[in-house]
Amino acid sequence: MASLPKRIIKETERLASDPVPGISAEPHEDNLRYFAVTIEGPEESPYENGVFELELYLPDDYPMEAPKVRFLTRIYHPNIDRLGRICLDVLKNNWSPALQIRTVLLSIQALLASPNPNDPLANDVAEEWIKNEELAISKAKEWTKLYAGKR
Amino acid sequence: MNYNVSDATDFSHTSIPQLSQLDTLVRCHICKDLLKIPVLTPCSHTFCSLCIREYLTREPKCPLCLSELRESNLRSEFLVNEIIESYRSVRDELLESLKEDQRNNAEKSLIELTDDDNDDDLQIVGTNQKEEVKRDKNEKSVGKVTKPSTSTGLNSLLNSQRDKSKTKEKLAQCPICSNFYPIQALERTHLDECLTMQSLDESTDVKKRTPTPPSPRIKSPKSSSKPKRAVNAKDDISHVDKYLSSFNTGQRRERLPKINFTSMSLSQIKQKLASLSLPTHGSRQNMIARYNHYEVLWNSNFCDAIEPVDESELRRQLASWEASHNPSNGNNGTNIISKMMRRANQGNSYQKLLADFKTDNFQRKSWILMFRKDFKNLIQEAKRSIPRESKTTGSVDNQIAVPENTEKE
Repeated sequence: MASLPKRIIKETERLASDPVPGISAEPHEDNLRYFAVTIEGPEESPYENGVFELELYLPDDYPMEAPKVRFLTRIYHPNIDRLGRICLDVLKNNWSPALQIRTVLLSIQALLASPNPNDPLANDVAEEWIKNEELAISKAKEWTKLYAGKR
Repeated sequence: MNYNVSDATDFSHTSIPQLSQLDTLVRCHICKDLLKIPVLTPCSHTFCSLCIREYLTREPKCPLCLSELRESNLRSEFLVNEIIESYRSVRDELLESLKEDQRNNAEKSLIELTDDDNDDDLQIVGTNQKEEVKRDKNEKSVGKVTKPSTSTGLNSLLNSQRDKSKTKEKLAQCPICSNFYPIQALERTHLDECLTMQSLDESTDVKKRTPTPPSPRIKSPKSSSKPKRAVNAKDDISHVDKYLSSFNTGQRRERLPKINFTSMSLSQIKQKLASLSLPTHGSRQNMIARYNHYEVLWNSNFCDAIEPVDESELRRQLASWEASHNPSNGNNGTNIISKMMRRANQGNSYQKLLADFKTDNFQRKSWILMFRKDFKNLIQEAKRSIPRESKTTGSVDNQIAVPENTEKE
């Protein structure tokens, strides 16, 4: 296996020693570039009380390239599609090597707190969100209970 | 794998936790390590030369403020470089002694609770931490700026006297000037002074400039530690010297240009690589990646570094980059690189060879060379055993045949 850059070791250590509230990220035993992530739904959002599982992979060129992140838990959100792909600027054009795993996960948590239906990835969800926000939010809550219930 | 990674939070459990800010500031935001060959962007941000150059090959913008940025806009910062190098050389010792201070402090604090009202607050942890920290900071900054007539000075004076009256073991050696001071004084005022003095000027009289340390200076009782310190002192001088003489280094080379490979044929690319004595194996993509990384290494080294290394060292760095960076490139690339690496350290150990035994990387020749004797022995043994076998079987045949013959007869 290719040797692990110091930076990744350091980030992993810090994630363990000084975790972000509501977020956990643990590297896989066999592949230290692959992380199992959980994010708690932010308070006062439709995703409150939900625990969402994600996978995060650091490509070979990290930190020159953004980490790849995907939701494993199903979620009703205009910027997250059925496959769990996330529409987030810092994961794409606005990635900068000064960012890190921690900041990316915080951005995702923020995205849960403030869905943006005007820049959608899941078009059907976004449409419903714009048409009838209340209904969409109640659906998001329902899905959270259904798929992201605490065990 | 080396898990010994330094971090700014290392300082949070020392007697001067504020140092973690300094430690953070001298780190590159890309590799998160202490800056190596720092370069300045037009937007006034600083990165390792290598890190930012590598990033700029992908995106022409500053990682911190996202403003547009070209490689040619980068300027090296010799002063920052030397500051960081001298910091790097004392960091471990500094950290160790500050941790030691913290431990001693913790022991002492129990005694101090009773007689020192100002320090009381500092000891009660957890009730009102923010205020404490603030007060702590104020106290520290006051102590740094002003002369010994402030409370800090008095405190340390008091403490130092107490120390003296108690035991001599409470003295600690300053990691920088190697003199012995009472721990309190060392930690509160002396270290700062000593550090600033060090960076200002080595040769000037320390006593003149320091705001007369409240504690008496005590010469180090043993000269045994001297030689080590002398080396350190030399290091520091050389950082100053290096900075001062950094402008007249005549070793600047021309930068390697960016090359547009799309219009080049494979043989042209190979020629280009060969002209720089780079390996020419691998796919077209591999070769382009190799040149691009070499260009980054070259320009960082010859344009930014104070003390550029020579080309063979750059090629070695390239090889190790390729080995660690392109594991997916298949056998061809890694094979030759591993060969290169092996050739570099001749002692082709058995372990290394064995590790590749089942893969394509396995080096038959060196394996055979290593076990030449054993192989010979085996072959000889085999040769010896074959005729013997045939003889024995033959003799058995004969033996069998003989009685038959005799019977017939």
